[in-house]
Amino acid sequence: MLLQVKNLRCGYGSLEVVRGVSLHVSAGEIVGLLGANGAGKTSLLKAIVGLLPPWQGDIFINGRQTRGQPAWTSISNSVVLVPEGRKIFANMTVRENLIIGGYHNPDRRTDLEIVLDRFPRLRERLAQMAGTLSGGEQQMLALGRALMGRPRMLLMDEPSMGLAPMMVKEVFAEIREMKDMGVTVLLVEQNAAATLQIADRVYIMETGEIILEGRSADLGHNPEVKRAYLGKGYKEVWE
Amino acid sequence: MRIFDRQYETMPRAELEQLQLERLQALLSRLNRNVRRYREQIADVRVESLKDLARLPFTTPEDIEDSSPYGLFALPLREVIRLHSILGPKGRPLVIGHTRNDLTHWGRLVARQLVASGVTANDVIQVCLGGSLWRGASGYVLGAESIEASVIAEEPFHIDAQVAMLRDYRPTMLITTPTNALELMRTMEQCRIDPPSLNLRTLLLSRPVDAETRAQLRDSLLVAVHCNFGVDEVLDPGLCVECEEGRFHVSEDQFLVEVRDGELIVTTLAREAMPLLRYRTRIACQVGQARCPCGRTGVIIMPGGRLDRRLRVEETSFYETQVAEVLQQTRAAGHEFTFKVAERRILVSIVMTEDLFSDMMWPLENLARDVESEFYARLGIEAEVTFSSSRDPQ
Repeated sequence: MLLQVKNLRCGYGSLEVVRGVSLHVSAGEIVGLLGANGAGKTSLLKAIVGLLPPWQGDIFINGRQTRGQPAWTSISNSVVLVPEGRKIFANMTVRENLIIGGYHNPDRRTDLEIVLDRFPRLRERLAQMAGTLSGGEQQMLALGRALMGRPRMLLMDEPSMGLAPMMVKEVFAEIREMKDMGVTVLLVEQNAAATLQIADRVYIMETGEIILEGRSADLGHNPEVKRAYLGKGYKEVWE
Repeated sequence: MRIFDRQYETMPRAELEQLQLERLQALLSRLNRNVRRYREQIADVRVESLKDLARLPFTTPEDIEDSSPYGLFALPLREVIRLHSILGPKGRPLVIGHTRNDLTHWGRLVARQLVASGVTANDVIQVCLGGSLWRGASGYVLGAESIEASVIAEEPFHIDAQVAMLRDYRPTMLITTPTNALELMRTMEQCRIDPPSLNLRTLLLSRPVDAETRAQLRDSLLVAVHCNFGVDEVLDPGLCVECEEGRFHVSEDQFLVEVRDGELIVTTLAREAMPLLRYRTRIACQVGQARCPCGRTGVIIMPGGRLDRRLRVEETSFYETQVAEVLQQTRAAGHEFTFKVAERRILVSIVMTEDLFSDMMWPLENLARDVESEFYARLGIEAEVTFSSSRDPQ
C-alpha cells in the first residue's frame, strides 16, 4: 500500500468534516474519491499532505507514519498535490511555473523536456503568462508542474472543475496515462461518470464518511451511486 | 495454482485487514443511513479497528424473520432484482434480496470455487441439486457464467435420466448433493456403467461430507471430489472456497467471520440489498491458524453441525417445531408424538389414545397416510407414521 489512511478525523474549528475515514491506495492504482460538495473530500486531501492538521487517525505513506508532518515534507515522500482550481502562478510564465514544480529536483532541466514532450501545447506557450492560458491548458500546466517533482503519487483535487466537456476528456486521458508512467493517482472528483471510466477503484464519500468502496465497474451499477451521482433518482423511496 | 481472483484471494493480510476495516466502516455508514433497525442499535458506535466488531450487535435468524420481508433491506425494492426465501426458525420465510451487483459478486465468488476445483471455460457443468435447492443452483449457474463454462440447464427428475445426461451431454463436472451423488454411484454400479466411459472429472458436493464418503465417491466414480460450505442466509454457495488442500478459505474481502462460543458469526462487507451485521449462523465452527500452501490468504474455517433445532432429511431442511405444526393440520392434532430423522425420511410415532383407537386397521392406515402426505406437501419430506402406546422412544 502506497497510501494508507486509518480513522482520520479533521475539521475546522469545532466543525468535524472528515469523520473517521479509512482508505488505501496501492502502487500503480488510480483510485477515485467521489462525493458531493461539502462531503469532506478536499479536507481529506489537505490532511493527507499536511495542509490541515488531523485531529485523530493515522496516515502512512509507503509504510511511514506522516501524520503531523508539515506540508512541505510531502514532496520528499514523493507525494504531490494538484490543488482544486489549479492554483498556478498566474503572473509567471509557463516555464517558470514548471521550474518551480521541480525546485528540489536536480534533473529539472531534463525533466522539463520530458514534461514538454508530454504536453506539446505547453511548449508552444512556454514564455506566455500562465494566467492567460485557457482552463484546460492551465490544468495541463498544473499536471506538468506536479510531474516536475517526480512524484510516485499524485493527489488530484477536482481536475475537471470549470472545464468544458471536451477538455475534461483530454485531462482525464492524461490522468489515465499517469498510470502507464507508473504514477499512482488519488483522484478527488464530483464528475462520477468520468472518474468511473478511468479509476480502478472508487470510494464514495458522504457527509464526512466513506459509504462505499469497490471496483469502478461494480460501483457504476450501484443504485446509490446511480441515484446520487449519475442522476438516476427516485421520487419515492419505496418504489 | 488455480486462482480466479488473485488480487483478493491472495491479498496480503495487512492489506486485507485494511480493506475489511474500510468496508466495515462503509457498511456501518450505510446501515446507519438506510436501515432503521440497525440505526437504533449502532448510531453511537465508533469502529476504529476490526477488534471493535465485538462491540456491535448481533443479527439473529429471528431478527430477519421478524423484519421479513423487507425490513432489513438497505435499498429500495426497485433496486432488488432477485428475491430468495429461506425457512426461518419460526416457520416463516426469511427473505433475502439481491441487487444486480450482488448477483455479479455472487457469480464471481462461486467462480472462485469452480476455478479452484479445476473448471475452465472449456468445461461442461451439470448442476443437479433438486428443486428444494434451486437457490444454490442459481448461484452455481452465475459462477459458471462468470468463467464462461457451459452449464446444462436441465434438472432430470429421475436418476436414470441423470445417468443418461452424463452419457449424452458429456459434462466434465457434476455439482450435486451428497445424497444424489451416492445414489448416482449406486445406480452406476447396478447398471455396470464404467466411470471412465463418461467424461466426468470433478464432483462438487453442495455441502461438506466426512472423509469416508468423500473417499467412497472418489474411488467409485473415479473423480476429484470437492465440497462447498455455505450459509443459506448469507450466501450458499460463495461464502468460501475449498482449495486443493481441502481447506475452506473464507472470501474475506466480502465476509468478515468470527467464532464466538463455537458459533460461526458472519458480517457481509459488500452486500448491497440486504447486508447482515454479525449474523449468528447457528452453525458450529472452528478457525484454523495454519498458512495454506495454496496461496490463499482467507481465513480457514472448519464448519461443524447445527447448533439449533434445524434438521435435514434428503437435503430438505426443517425446524423441529414444524413437525408439530404439520401434525396440527391433521386429525392427529393435539396428540402426543415422538419423531426421529432416519437416512431418507422422518419417522413419526403418534401416541395412541381412545379417540384414535379403532377395532379396524383402515382408519389408522388412513390417518397414517394423511399425515405422511401432509409432511410431503408441507415440508417436502417423506414420513413414516406409526402408532405407539406410550411416549417411550422406539
